[in-house]
Amino acid sequence: MTLTKRQLLKSLLGGVALTVLPLSAMAQARKIMVVASTVDIPNFDPHVATGYAPQWLFRNVYDPLVRVTGTPPVATPGLAASWEMSEDGMTYTFHLDPTARFTDGSAVTAADVVYSFQRLLRLGTGPAWMVAGILDGDSVVATDDATVTMNLLKPFAPLLSVLPWMFIVNAAVVEANLGTDDAQAYLLQNIAGSGAFTINRALPGELYELLRVENDWHQGGNIDAVFWRIVREAATTRMLLQRGEVHFALDLFTEDMEALEGVPGVVRIMEPDYRSFSIKMNTAHGPLMDKNLRKAISYAFNYQSMLDAAQPAALMVGPLPPGMFGANPDLEVYRQDMDKAREYLAASDYADGGFTLSIHYAAGYEQQRRWCLILLEALATLNIQLDIRPMVWPDVVAMARSPETVTDFFSIFQSSNYADPDNTAYAAYHSSRNGQWQNPTYSNPEVDRLIEEARAATTPEARAELYGQFQEVVVEDAPDIFGVLELRKFAMRDNVQGYEFCPVGATSPEIWPLSLA
Amino acid sequence: MIQMILRRLLLLIPTLIGLTLLLFVISRLLPGDPVGLAAGPNASAELIARMRAEFGFDDPLWLRYWHYLTGLLSGDWGTSVFTRRPVFQDVLTYLPATLELVFSALLIAVVIGIPLGLLTAVYRNGPLDYFIRTLALGGVAMPRFFLGLLLQLAFVAWLGWLPLSGRFPFLEIPPQSVTGFYTIDALLAGDIRAFGIAVSHLILPATAMALSPLATIMRMMRASTIEVLGQDYILNARALGLSQRLIIGKYVLKNAMSATLTVIGLYVSWLLGGTVLVETVFDWPGLGLFATQAILTQDFMPVIGVTLVIAIIYLLTMLVVDILYGVLNPKVRL
Repeated sequence: MTLTKRQLLKSLLGGVALTVLPLSAMAQARKIMVVASTVDIPNFDPHVATGYAPQWLFRNVYDPLVRVTGTPPVATPGLAASWEMSEDGMTYTFHLDPTARFTDGSAVTAADVVYSFQRLLRLGTGPAWMVAGILDGDSVVATDDATVTMNLLKPFAPLLSVLPWMFIVNAAVVEANLGTDDAQAYLLQNIAGSGAFTINRALPGELYELLRVENDWHQGGNIDAVFWRIVREAATTRMLLQRGEVHFALDLFTEDMEALEGVPGVVRIMEPDYRSFSIKMNTAHGPLMDKNLRKAISYAFNYQSMLDAAQPAALMVGPLPPGMFGANPDLEVYRQDMDKAREYLAASDYADGGFTLSIHYAAGYEQQRRWCLILLEALATLNIQLDIRPMVWPDVVAMARSPETVTDFFSIFQSSNYADPDNTAYAAYHSSRNGQWQNPTYSNPEVDRLIEEARAATTPEARAELYGQFQEVVVEDAPDIFGVLELRKFAMRDNVQGYEFCPVGATSPEIWPLSLA
Repeated sequence: MIQMILRRLLLLIPTLIGLTLLLFVISRLLPGDPVGLAAGPNASAELIARMRAEFGFDDPLWLRYWHYLTGLLSGDWGTSVFTRRPVFQDVLTYLPATLELVFSALLIAVVIGIPLGLLTAVYRNGPLDYFIRTLALGGVAMPRFFLGLLLQLAFVAWLGWLPLSGRFPFLEIPPQSVTGFYTIDALLAGDIRAFGIAVSHLILPATAMALSPLATIMRMMRASTIEVLGQDYILNARALGLSQRLIIGKYVLKNAMSATLTVIGLYVSWLLGGTVLVETVFDWPGLGLFATQAILTQDFMPVIGVTLVIAIIYLLTMLVVDILYGVLNPKVRL
């Protein structure tokens, strides 16, 4: 075909005109919500993919038995309308919501739930680690079409907290597309769920469009379609939010929040969630095996400077994130006290200092570098030098494998995957996790015992007591410089209704219960 | 000429084999642990061991390399450890966006750079020459991502003429994919409006990328033109009374283009390798961002895949440049 000059000019102007038209107005007419994030959704398989972007997709196109909402987070009905636990904590019975439907219109049955758990455990990837050793292929049983019984291999108090991440697939659809890889190739790009939305368009690296399912069985929300739009630059995100082209901006920094202060139509959300930063010490190799030296450093560290550099944030009070069930806000932890620091240094095998320790930080992460400098300053007061090394994340993960390769200080951000102290306690302090980046070296049989007993205890009181003891033992051991809990920072438009912050999965919000005014 | 093309195409094979070998060796030398990273912080030792075996990380390097080479022949470019997606499919998904951006930038650079170079050479040392050369100097020095931000500020925030980011409005359906180039696909579908929309999204990122090559092409063209203008045969043509337009169009342009062609060819790889920042600023879903993510996580199969594609495009571009040399200068064909 040939284009005349007039046609070409018309088309170019048409293109420009369309982009100038306020997209917000077009979106408004159809109740379209736009979520901006820097992260792509590369894999749609709920039993394989991890990361907050895939989690966001799963929370909107699939359903778990149990959801999690609010602050503090509580388990609320998902596919299961109700449930009960046996007295010994070994058996859970779930009664499915009779209205629950997959997007193809078929009813969600107990057989689908059994199938989903068996597939999850068979693949052993994605969220399977949360129930590894707790459930096996025979643990989840369909008592009848609408009732599922879980027979645990051992008591596991956080079960309801981990279930929101175990999504149920349509067994018939998955079976029909099984292939040779348990339908992994199929679910890589297809959805077989019961969620309020299903995927309409996927443009990798660009956007994902979800459409409300016809006859959606979920109650609430007026959103017809939702876009997960990938916006890499925070400045661009800000501009889109200000122009009303984005309703939720998930990845914002402190400076963005400052810039958005007072902007009409924009609501800023700065809430504590469970993402903490701490500086772990190599307790299995080198000078920091000496507990007195670790305590000396813990007392010499300037926590206030760290907090100032992290604002808006809160200081950690021991190993558990403040606000989480079991966290003791009155726990006596280390705060800067140079007399005590010198006292413990004198009691250590390194009373005169005069040696060099090492720390890494994530390359390019300026705030972590600043915290390293604060540590350098603290160590200098003890006549200890600090070698600060920027490292890329894959190297950090590799380094964690053995105490001999780990730097003396190991700085990490740590998020909670589920709303239970077990998550942090087990991943970051249980000796079975040694060699993993969340706990490269720390090991204490007493701590292991407390963590295991707390996971098995069936009453909240007993668990709180055990976690209380756990925190005291860990603080006494001083394996970490307990750092800061950064506030989760994002912003939304003021016409978004029904939003409630939840510190678990804060960056993977459920869209279907929300409305646009 | 055909022999030369065949010879060059055959030479591609050992070059690409050498490149993949080099990348495989580098991947072995680096200290990171992509499998541990992909398995996640809570992965069991068994899962990590299973994944290592699944992705062949336990195999000796030569065996992994052999599997890779034989896989390449059947279109299997490996699988990403992180996303578990086939690399070839991902490269095909992201490549058209990058190529459309690169070729648009190159088009802007060539279409504006060459006439400007001629113009400044013909009117050298005049006010126009100084003005354009000063601009060109700024063009070379200006970082692309910064220019991108400035363009956004001017044409989006202030004037509101052009879209902020992306390849197409997200509420609209892009044209049916044939080539993957939205502009061409829109034309093929006869959808003039979609063509206009696609072009309006291309203008700012392509301009941000084009400025530096435009300035270089202009300067190269200027220098070559001045050199050609001083040649005896041009003086002879003038003495024979040929018109300035004929001299420039027929003799000068053709001869001055040879050196400029090399620069244009080199810029293809420069632009391909340097799209990351512009793609970031404009949310352009291209290969640069895909590669960056893979590099940061040491996900080697995508890294090798992207490098291979860029190498193939670069080598083919240089082949085209050589053919054009032959067209412009018959002596080269000898």
